[in-house]
Amino acid sequence: MKSKNLSENILRSVKSKGFKYIDLPSVIEADHIVQRSGENFRKFIFSFTDQAGKEICLRPDLTIVSCLRYLENNLKGKEKIFYSGQAYRKSQNKKDSIIREQVGFEIIGSKDEKSDDREIINTSLKSLQNIKYTSGTLTIGNVEIFKLLISKLEIPSRWKLRLLRHFWREDYFNDLLKRLETNADIDPTEVEVDKKKFLNLLKKDPSTIIAGRSIGEILKRFDTKIKDPRKASKGKKVSKIIRSFLKIKCPINDAAKKLNKFFKKNKINLVVDQKYFPISSNKVSKLNVMFSTTFGRQLEYYTGMVFKIDIKSNSKIVNYVNGGRYDGLISDLGSQKKIPAVGAAFNL
Amino acid sequence: MNDLIKIGIPSKGRLRESVLNIFKKNKLKLISKRGDRDLFGSVKGKKNIQIIYLHAREIIERLADKSLDMGFSGLDLLKESEINIQKNIKVFKSYPFGKATLVVAIPNDFIDIFSMADLEEVAFEFKDKKKRRLRVATKYPNLTREFFYNKGVTQFSLVKSVGSTEVAPFTGSSELITDITSTGSTLAANNLRIINDGYILKSELCMMVGKSSFKNKNLQKLAKLLSTKY
Repeated sequence: MKSKNLSENILRSVKSKGFKYIDLPSVIEADHIVQRSGENFRKFIFSFTDQAGKEICLRPDLTIVSCLRYLENNLKGKEKIFYSGQAYRKSQNKKDSIIREQVGFEIIGSKDEKSDDREIINTSLKSLQNIKYTSGTLTIGNVEIFKLLISKLEIPSRWKLRLLRHFWREDYFNDLLKRLETNADIDPTEVEVDKKKFLNLLKKDPSTIIAGRSIGEILKRFDTKIKDPRKASKGKKVSKIIRSFLKIKCPINDAAKKLNKFFKKNKINLVVDQKYFPISSNKVSKLNVMFSTTFGRQLEYYTGMVFKIDIKSNSKIVNYVNGGRYDGLISDLGSQKKIPAVGAAFNL
Repeated sequence: MNDLIKIGIPSKGRLRESVLNIFKKNKLKLISKRGDRDLFGSVKGKKNIQIIYLHAREIIERLADKSLDMGFSGLDLLKESEINIQKNIKVFKSYPFGKATLVVAIPNDFIDIFSMADLEEVAFEFKDKKKRRLRVATKYPNLTREFFYNKGVTQFSLVKSVGSTEVAPFTGSSELITDITSTGSTLAANNLRIINDGYILKSELCMMVGKSSFKNKNLQKLAKLLSTKY
C-alpha cells in the first residue's frame, strides 16, 4: 500500500467528506511531548536545542502537533481537518525506518460526540473504496465502559484510580490485579515507625513546602492511606470480575446484550444500550464488525470510542486505519478547558 | 601496531585505587614516565600494553569505539550507557570492589511514601494538582527511566545532574532523586531516605573488553591473568 496515487485517492475521499487540509509545523517544543507522553517517549524523539536554549524536536506524531495547533492558535468551535506528512521517530529495531508517513483526519471542538464518532468511522470506511481487499475486520472498543465498570466495584478509591491509570500498560495492569488479590498494601511495623514522624510533622505549619509538596498534603495522604485498608477476599472477587470483563469479545450487534448479561451476573448496576455503539450491523461492505473490551489499551490518550480496520489483501492481513476519541489530549497539552477530539490515522 | 593492547583505568577515586591494586597483586608494575599526573602509562617489561587513565564514564565509550581494548569501570556506568554501546562491550570479570547501589531517595518528611507503588500514586496526584510532573534529579537518566516505568511510575520528568544530586530536592530543582550510594550516609546526612523497594541496580568494579578486541589471544591471556588474583 505504498503508491503515491493511493494516498492521494485516500486524501481525496477524506476531503470529499468536508475535511479541510492543514499544514503542520515540522518541529515542536520537546517539553510538550515529555509533559504529555512522559520520559519514556524521549527515547523516540530527535531533539536539539535552539538559540534560546529551548529543547526542540522533530514532530514524532502528527496528532499531537494538530492538537497543539488548535490550542496555540486559540481556535474555538468545531473544526474538521486532515493532514498528511512525515513523522520522525527513533526505533530500537535497526530495520525500522525513522521516517513514518502519516495521513490523519480529525474532528476537534464539537460537542456532538456520538455523531462525530460515527462520521470518523464512516469516512474511514468510504476511503476503503480505493483499496483492493478480499475481507477484513472492523474492531470497535470503548475505554469508557471499563471506566464505568471500575467506578462500580467495591475497592478503595485509591485502587480504582490506580487501575484506571494503568489500563493501557497491560503487564503492569496484570501485576496490579495480582497485588489486589493479596493484602500487601501496608506494612504494620512501618506504619508504627512513621506514626512517630507523623506526630512530629503535625506540630509544623501545614503550609510549609518540602521538596515541592506541602506538609498538609503529605499528612493528608498519610492519613487516607492508613485509614484505607481492604480485604484480600474482596480484592480476589473484584480481580476476577475485571479479568472476565476483559475477555468479552463478540459481533457488534451482540455487544449490549453480552455486556448487560455480564453486569447482571456480577451484580453491577450498569446497563448499556445498543445505540451506544457507533455501528450495529455485523457486516459493513466486506468487513466483519466486532466489539472487544480490551481493544484500545495500546494508546494512553484514548478516552472513549476506539476502532481499527484490518484488511486481508493478497492473503496477508494488514492494518489499514486506527482511530478513536481523545478528549483529554488538548487539556493535557495545556488547555484550561476540556476540548473534545476524535480522529483516525491511515497506516500507509 | 595491531598487537598493542590499550587498557583504560579510571583516573581518580576508589575505582582507580582498586584497579592499581589488582595490577600490583599480579606483579604487573605500572610505569608513568612523567610522574603521577601522566595520563599515559605502560607496564614494565610488556611493550605491547599501553595504559590510558580516563574518566570511568569515558572508558566505556572508548571501549565501544574501539580506541580501548580493555577497560575498568563501574557496572552502573555500563548499564547506563546507550544500548548500542553496551552491545559492543563484554563484562569479563566483576570484582568485589567499588560496591555501590543505585537507589531512589526521597525527603525524610515524605512519610506517606513507603514504596514505589506509593510514589506511583503521588506522581499522578502531583501532576493532576500542579499540572506539571514530579521531577527526579539523577546522573543516571536511562536506568532511572526504565526502573520507574517498570514500577508503574510514569508521571515524572528527569533533571540531569552531574554532582551533589542530594541537594536537588531542597534547592527547588527536583522533588526526589536517584543516586549511587555505598553506605547511605550521604543520603541520610542530607535528610533523604531510600524508598523500601527503590533499589535500581547493584554495581561493582568490572573488567570490560571490547567484543571485537577480544579475538586477540594476548588480550584473552591478560584478561584471565587479571581475573584470578585480586
